[in-house]
Amino acid sequence: MTAAASPTVTSLFEEFADGIYTLGYRLTGDRQLAEDVVQETFIKVMRSLSSYRGDGPIAAWLYRIGYREAIAVTRKRKDEPTEPDTMVYLADRSDDDVEREIVSRELAAVLDAAISSLTPPLRAAFVLRDVEGLSTVEVAAALDASESAVKMRLARAREALRVQLKEYL
Amino acid sequence: MTDLTCDELDALLAEFLDGTITDDQRDAALAHLATCDACTIVVTEMRGVGALFRQHGRLRLPDAARARIRAQLEAAEQDPTS
Repeated sequence: MTAAASPTVTSLFEEFADGIYTLGYRLTGDRQLAEDVVQETFIKVMRSLSSYRGDGPIAAWLYRIGYREAIAVTRKRKDEPTEPDTMVYLADRSDDDVEREIVSRELAAVLDAAISSLTPPLRAAFVLRDVEGLSTVEVAAALDASESAVKMRLARAREALRVQLKEYL
Repeated sequence: MTDLTCDELDALLAEFLDGTITDDQRDAALAHLATCDACTIVVTEMRGVGALFRQHGRLRLPDAARARIRAQLEAAEQDPTS
């Protein structure tokens, strides 16, 4: 990678913050913890960006850091569940907005429940491949797994989600 | 490869959905799907799962957190010793 092509941590943050947040939320099940995952991920990215040799897709490198952070945060999390944040901030919106918001949140809750039933490795493979759009090779690099393992995880995740979400498909 | 069974298609499904199978395998899969309603439903639903999550399950980092973390990163970029 040439100096001119080197990304800055802020440019990477703009491009990948939502993806890391999504991955963090899907692995921790908690929005506050997901924010922590984003923060810790990009602090680590900032510290190690100069050592990134450009010998692989930067998305895979970055998601690997995010995945490890999410797993670490999950292990450290307290046992008590946090309060769900549904229905927050609805009071100031119009009736149409509120109705759309409620339907959207109900569907979001269904998706949350479905994906939460998967093991973390299956969740991570599904989110990175089918939601964030990484290639199978990139997902394998991000998860420190073989391509065949990623394909197996994807097959299991897709089938489990297909069965659970059948009425929404 | 010709005349795939449902189980054989199932074994190829992940690569078929990812578009990473050979041309012969893809042709065989498409030929099977043309005659098998059950597998066609599975493939359609499998594709639908990803689409459902992309449309409704992708999250956006809240603005307050985005601003806070961005400011933290910008400050650190300005002063790498901090």
